Amino acid sequence: MEISLWQIIFLSLYAFVAQLDALSLQISLGVPLMAGFVTGLVMGDVSMGLTVGATLQLMVLGVATYGGATVPDFMSAAIIGTAFAIMSGQNVEFALGIALPIGLLLTQLDILARLSNTYFQHKADRYAEEGNPDGVARMNLLGIFPWGLSRAIPVFLGLYFGSDVVKAITAYLPQWLMGGLKVAGGILPAMGIAILMRYLPLRKFYPFMIIGFVMAAFMKVSLIGIALLGFALAAAYLYLKGDLKPQAEGGDIDD
Amino acid sequence: MTDSKAEKKITRKDIIRVFWRTILGLQMGWNYEKMQGLGYCFAILPILKKLYRTKEEMIKALKLHLQFFNTTPAMAHLIVGADIAMEEAYGISNEDTISGIKTGLMGPFAGIGDTVFVAIYRTIVFSLGSYMALEGNVIGALWPIIPAILIWWVRYEFTVIGYEQGRKIAVGFANQLKQLTEGAAILGLTVIGGLAPAVVKANVPLVFKTGDVELKVQDMLDKIMPSLVPIAIVLLSYWLLGRKGFNSTRLILFLVCLGVVLYNLKILG
Repeated sequence: MEISLWQIIFLSLYAFVAQLDALSLQISLGVPLMAGFVTGLVMGDVSMGLTVGATLQLMVLGVATYGGATVPDFMSAAIIGTAFAIMSGQNVEFALGIALPIGLLLTQLDILARLSNTYFQHKADRYAEEGNPDGVARMNLLGIFPWGLSRAIPVFLGLYFGSDVVKAITAYLPQWLMGGLKVAGGILPAMGIAILMRYLPLRKFYPFMIIGFVMAAFMKVSLIGIALLGFALAAAYLYLKGDLKPQAEGGDIDD
Repeated sequence: MTDSKAEKKITRKDIIRVFWRTILGLQMGWNYEKMQGLGYCFAILPILKKLYRTKEEMIKALKLHLQFFNTTPAMAHLIVGADIAMEEAYGISNEDTISGIKTGLMGPFAGIGDTVFVAIYRTIVFSLGSYMALEGNVIGALWPIIPAILIWWVRYEFTVIGYEQGRKIAVGFANQLKQLTEGAAILGLTVIGGLAPAVVKANVPLVFKTGDVELKVQDMLDKIMPSLVPIAIVLLSYWLLGRKGFNSTRLILFLVCLGVVLYNLKILG
């Protein structure tokens, strides 16, 4: 399937807005899951979009911008990967094989956006010297453009020049690489989990992780069931430790 | 002259304006030099305009709030709230205190906030969403909007709490949050434990043949423990991340290479 100009423009605008959302309202437009879904919707293959988005999402689960660190841009990568796979009639593994290197490459543009904003900070500092509050406010808002464009431009260029490039890529990709990338796509979510394990107090609370693992691996409990169990365990732990008092119940029957 | 308007200068409407400006603008001007400094100044600007009528005061206030600032966006509301209360009470004359509280709170608040509002929040919200999406359920992609809007409410409450309690209680509130963090960490780790076998896919197609006997390696592994290979890869990744100079980008490259190599050795497929 060929991609039309309006689809390219819509997805580029989406990438622009999605990045701003990730910085402000955070209603999840800026995560790979939603980006994959929206791309699938626009390109007419929702199930592909969901699968690509969700797989990338699981890989980057723990990769968040703590303290402003730059991370690979898997939101834009999800858009490009999903669109390419649908355009060339390929499968999910193909989409992931494209999305991974693109996400890593786009790290550079995130750095560029954060660098560009330094210019606005300097101008704001000058407005402050003049006692001009509106000038300062305007400089903050101008940050919208480096941020949004750092996502919209690669998506636009990728999709605009992409279809020929995609065909060329598909023709040349050997089986050892495609098969390997498929396996890699399967094990990459381990990274997201490992990063979260590093971030959370695993040494102190490791028994709870084992409980979660046993519930899933041996007893095949669904993730929602495990989340409920985790909530119960957390509440029980705090009650027993005495940090939380259980809500007082109504009148005692024995009285 | 300034004393005439000293009483009850800040209204609820002002607080709401600062709340929205913090949500929308705190990170728009994010830059390597002052990080959220530009955004913080943007957020508190309506208060500055209301409190400081002379040019000297305004210059002083703008410079103060353009200073380096960085914390978890949700936690910034507590700080900006407390800041409003202090500036309303003492004005800009007390700039060292204001600056001290901002920088003093942003670090510890980021520690708590990054765990609760980033790590654990994302683990729970997006692992459930991805899990549903992988089963082809559209709700999986859409449902994160609901907790996101709940977080807006939390952030609004934080702004009000910060303002009403001022510095002292804002610090006390951090201790309560520590207990909340412990509970949230337990929830997060339980989910992570369940996530590993659910989402890491590693199938071993290897088959040993001795005479007529066929030995499927995957079946043997399953008898030892289900999801043995996935959890082993998770633990290997965890261990690698703890090594010096090993970051997430390197881990991606490592896992991609590992996948390609193991596929071609016919160990995984």
